[in-house]
Amino acid sequence: MVRGMMDRALVGFACVYTPLPLLDAAGFVPWRILPVGDAPDQAGRLLHDNLCPHVKRLLDRAMAADLPPLAGIVFMNSCDAMRRLPDAWRVARPSDRVILVDLPASAADDAVEYFAAELRALAVNPADWGGTSIRDADLEDALRRYDGLASSAAGLRAQLARGELPGGAAALQAAINDVTAGGWPDGAARLAASSFVAPAASAAGDAARPASGVPVFVFGNVLPEPEAFALFESCGARVVADDVCTGSRVLAPLAPATDADPYVRLARGLLGRAPCARTIDPAHPGGAATRVVDAARSCGARGVVAHVAKFCDPYLARLPAIREALREAGLPLLVLEGDCTRRSLGQQRTRIEAFVEMLESR
Amino acid sequence: MIGEYFAGLARDIEAKLAAEPAASSARKVFALEVARLGVRLYSPGRPVAWCGVLAPFDLLNGVGVTSCFAEFVGAMLAGMGAATPPLEGAEQAGYAADTCAYHRAVVGAAMQGMMPVPDFLVATTTPCTGGLAAIENLARLFRRELLVLQIPRAETEAGVRFLAGQLERLARFAAGRAGTALDAERVAAAVELSNLTRGLMVEIYDLARKVPSPVGNRDLANFGIVVPLLMGTQAGVDVARATRDELAARVGDGKSGVAGERFRLLWVQNRIQFPNPLLKLLEDEYRAVIVVDELNDVTWEPIDPADPYPGMARRAIGLPLNGPAERRVARLRQLATEYRVDGVIHPCHWGCRQGTGIRGLVQRGFRETGIPVLNLEVDCIDARSFSEGQLRTRLEAFLELIAGRPRASA
Ligand code: SF4
Ligand code: SF4
Repeated sequence: MVRGMMDRALVGFACVYTPLPLLDAAGFVPWRILPVGDAPDQAGRLLHDNLCPHVKRLLDRAMAADLPPLAGIVFMNSCDAMRRLPDAWRVARPSDRVILVDLPASAADDAVEYFAAELRALAVNPADWGGTSIRDADLEDALRRYDGLASSAAGLRAQLARGELPGGAAALQAAINDVTAGGWPDGAARLAASSFVAPAASAAGDAARPASGVPVFVFGNVLPEPEAFALFESCGARVVADDVCTGSRVLAPLAPATDADPYVRLARGLLGRAPCARTIDPAHPGGAATRVVDAARSCGARGVVAHVAKFCDPYLARLPAIREALREAGLPLLVLEGDCTRRSLGQQRTRIEAFVEMLESR
Repeated sequence: MIGEYFAGLARDIEAKLAAEPAASSARKVFALEVARLGVRLYSPGRPVAWCGVLAPFDLLNGVGVTSCFAEFVGAMLAGMGAATPPLEGAEQAGYAADTCAYHRAVVGAAMQGMMPVPDFLVATTTPCTGGLAAIENLARLFRRELLVLQIPRAETEAGVRFLAGQLERLARFAAGRAGTALDAERVAAAVELSNLTRGLMVEIYDLARKVPSPVGNRDLANFGIVVPLLMGTQAGVDVARATRDELAARVGDGKSGVAGERFRLLWVQNRIQFPNPLLKLLEDEYRAVIVVDELNDVTWEPIDPADPYPGMARRAIGLPLNGPAERRVARLRQLATEYRVDGVIHPCHWGCRQGTGIRGLVQRGFRETGIPVLNLEVDCIDARSFSEGQLRTRLEAFLELIAGRPRASA
């Protein structure tokens, strides 16, 4: 699973706003730390139980040493829970190199400029982590590689939406996990190769791949398990698109930007692409609701599933507006609360089946 | 309902002070100015802005906008014993009970027509993600313009420049809403008043450090979080001066805030806002006094009236609730030493990721100092889940533990 380890050191990350091209340009392989695995539940010793399970599972993995050797970990200041993670991490594993990069809450011009300054500061001394110093040309190259990766992923998503992707959403999720957990930088080629998708599909289980099903759109924060998508499909739903931070948002294309400075371009590209709930557009309060409705409509979904981690303020606070907007749009919504354990999703099977039945009867 | 409450409160205090000037106290002056602020918020006239906790209220006062952090409404409702209907309203509308009740109460109050419709809103990214989302929700419900102040995590040059630029734009925007152009002299005058209030707050907290402390458990409750709403006005100076004078007089007379002070405590983050018997228990049964609240602190330098924005930016960035846990824990430890406290009470307001996220780190940070920490599981706004018996038992056990240790102030 951990590719690239032999030649390039891994740098851990946990948020889709992480400047992956920058890590690549510094000679590292970005390695997504996913809230998966069987690490015992210990994070409560440092973080309260009433805190995001995504963050706690990552800390559990750190405390159980359930991670490959990492040259360092780059966290993004995305929300209250995420900014506490490096604090707790430093206590749990004092010898790890951990950095928190500030992340503006909007894509305003001055926010882009500030974020670019943060990225430049991050790039100052990669050698301290065993990387190489970054010339602008290296970052330009890395941005191109990232673009290639993102367009391969977009191609697969288009196939998924048309119902033509072998293995469906579960296979796509497996492929994304594989690339983000060490498959960089040759991920584009690997993502594009259908031979790559096929084994992932069979790993996810053929039985979980109905040729048809009610098209649904899934949004939320963390849902990294291919089995979760297989579960939806085994309940009669066909996931045609997602907006999940361990799913399509991971390898999403950067927003187009024409700035000459590659750091500004990267900053604008990251802040300007389809945001998750923690990022807001002050000109459109409640814009998250419109985005969900638009995304569901444009992929032809007949229903929407929200998969939200417990205690995730950014999503919990937006759900009422999203619910209202979907009701007005005539799109039924199923809200599943997750705690980043497989068990929690398995327990939802009956609700998912009932939801799909309701969609079928409409 | 809330507007009438404030108007009635202001009238009552004014009548009492007129009838019996000698009965004036710093807390009454404070309550009166808070009530007057409430009246301004609820009466048409000057433009009103609902804001995040770290908005620059002195600047907004200076440009003629009445402003307040939205959580204030949650606290007022809880204090009046009236938070349950808005909390239930918000929950019925789908706002999760796992989130901060300050925000649920205020969103519920807005949905139930209990909040004046503002002219605009100013969200702040600190202290909490939930607060940012709550202000965004209010902007959506009220269909009013939203500004977001993005507060950087560290006091870097780029960070100060970023926030200072946002503050200047906010000032221009707000002045425009108040129907004027931005007037640097008016802003400078507000900053002078703000600096005066700051200086008095430093004196107040110095007095509170004395052994025995002149403060009682209610004297400075919510002081450091509410006084900023009055900063940049003469009322802020008056409240701070009355408080300073009263505490100084007590020190001069050799009086302590709690007779026979026995234990000195540090209270982390928010007080419990609804009526409850715990403070009385501390005072009457244990002669324990909260000598310092974490939020009663001055962590910023005076601001240059001629160039206020960088100083205001540093003030917000430098707040311990912003920044890494290490800095906040270090400041808490410093307060504990300076105030010579015997124990720390951390209420861990349910739903506050800011508070609950740092709980274990605070506990750990105090372990080396030997100062015991009591973590209370409590919701500071939502009285529905308040379990007096359980809290009383935990508090009593904690105070017994402290009693068996040497006094920090000995
Ligand atoms: S799931 Fe929500 S609370 Fe957790 S890290 Fe993501 S945005 Fe933050
Ligand atoms: S109690 Fe916590 S979550 Fe609530 S307003 Fe305060 S900092 Fe934000």
